[in-house]
Amino acid sequence: MLVVLVVAVLLYLPLMLWANVGPASRALASGADLGCPNAIACATQLRNPVLPAPGQLVQGFRSLSVPPTAPTSAPYNAVVTGGETLLGLVLATGLGLVLAALLVLSRSFERATLPWLVASQTVPIVAIAPMLAVLLGQYGVQGFLPKALIAAYIAFFPVAVGMSRGLRSPDALQLDLMRTYSASPGRVFVQLRLPASLPYLFTALKVAVTAALVGSIVAEISTISFSGLGKMLAENSRASDTIALWVIMAYGAVLGVGLVALVGLLERVVTPWRAGR
Amino acid sequence: MASGAVTWRGAVRRPGLGAALPLVLSTLGLLGLAAGLTRLGTAPERPLPWLLGVLALLLLGVLGIRAAAQGEGRAARFLPAALTGLLAVLAVEVLLRAYGVPAGLIPTPSRVLVALWEARTVLLQDTFSTFVLEALLGFVVGALIGLILALLVVRFRFLERGLLPYAALFSSVPIVALAPVVVKALGLEWPSKMVVVAITVLFPVVVNAVRGLQAAQPLHLDLLHTYAASPSQTFRNVRVPTALPFVFNALKVGSTLALISAIVAEFFGTTGHGLGFRIQIEVGRFNLAVVWAAIVLASVVGLAFFGLISVLERRFAPVPENS
Repeated sequence: MLVVLVVAVLLYLPLMLWANVGPASRALASGADLGCPNAIACATQLRNPVLPAPGQLVQGFRSLSVPPTAPTSAPYNAVVTGGETLLGLVLATGLGLVLAALLVLSRSFERATLPWLVASQTVPIVAIAPMLAVLLGQYGVQGFLPKALIAAYIAFFPVAVGMSRGLRSPDALQLDLMRTYSASPGRVFVQLRLPASLPYLFTALKVAVTAALVGSIVAEISTISFSGLGKMLAENSRASDTIALWVIMAYGAVLGVGLVALVGLLERVVTPWRAGR
Repeated sequence: MASGAVTWRGAVRRPGLGAALPLVLSTLGLLGLAAGLTRLGTAPERPLPWLLGVLALLLLGVLGIRAAAQGEGRAARFLPAALTGLLAVLAVEVLLRAYGVPAGLIPTPSRVLVALWEARTVLLQDTFSTFVLEALLGFVVGALIGLILALLVVRFRFLERGLLPYAALFSSVPIVALAPVVVKALGLEWPSKMVVVAITVLFPVVVNAVRGLQAAQPLHLDLLHTYAASPSQTFRNVRVPTALPFVFNALKVGSTLALISAIVAEFFGTTGHGLGFRIQIEVGRFNLAVVWAAIVLASVVGLAFFGLISVLERRFAPVPENS
């Protein structure tokens, strides 16, 4: 893993120079005063580089991260986005669990709704997000919640599917055993199906949390919002501040990995008997 | 799904004509309500009776759908979902009219249909550039590169240790954060969106294909070893068949992601084509009927794409009965 990292870092410099020399020489040829003698030297200090130079990245990180609690800093906005994502994940999990239970308990419900649940995933939520925000704002729902709802919309499907697979995972032998105990359907559900579904639930939650993060960032991009990584992306994209975009992308990546790790931690706490895997 | 013979509630009932009557009544009733509202012209003063009427008719419809969903025939598998959709659209139409929701907030389904028809040339062009040029091409490129990478990773242990952790890491990165950077770097034309789609599809394919290629059971491998099968024979006859369900799973996930990321990438700059561009610009004009028409088109295309991959999956990697 480390070797690949080192190779990637070593390859980055020539790649960066190669990508940037073109725009740099074009800018020089057009007579712009970049304050540097030739194209190679200019490649590391373009204002809008194709690939930013390491020095520029470090500077970008510093200017976006200090002080970390300022409303324009990336860490603060990452925390806001993370909060929306987690709230969205909680809502998605609730909805997903109810749907999964209904899907498993009633076959007519499954036949009537499952195709629409699949279809709901092919609806480009990014397209709905702005309208949903306007709509919810009309009825007095503002701030945190609309974004969390959009995140939940995009994340409930993996939970519902994974959970219904988990609820069906006990095999005939185990179900027969419960029958010999003359257990009621309710007891079978609580004591056999629910525990059996937990590993499936956590696998699904890891997918769902990534989806929810995408949802909340998209919601921030396409609605009127005043904080969050998505809003920073939209702003800096409009201002063509490429280096800031790279920095925000890195923060988004760290946030995504961190959220998945958080779900993994929760999994270890809730299902300790599987911790060895 | 379990083998189907034993349901949660026990015995399997035959589908009956009992389904048809409530469904026909419910559909006609909802149509009648819509027609009544059209004759009325404006939204009624007190919408509550209309709401109650819709709810009662929906309840009747649900009973019919429940009855229609019994049994094992083709009709029992496809009709319930179609009927649910039809009743839901009718109910939304009636409720939106009864409550007088302005078209700038939520357009009624009939308005969306009209917009879909009137703007069909523009919308079809947009769908072509978003779906064919960006999503489909990016999907194919991303999936191919992903499969090649997966083969390399399985072949060389060094790459498995060095590359796979990064692939897993990157698959938990929010792709939308990538879109503006790529669009800024590669320009506003469609290739930049295609690259975003390809990157989106790449990581799930790599991770799942590697998992699938390594999922072959030691017993099967040993068996082929005793047959003195060559490595390439083992690969063809054991590893590829075990990997296919995993790969198709990734392709299904990728197919929905592809369309979404193409549309998101269009939000960060286009040359004036594409569903994402259309949606953004028409939202700005509060022309929501066209926006919903674009969404309907995108969903239909996305669903067809998903369906195509499901068909291919059933052809090449049939799911065993008990999964």
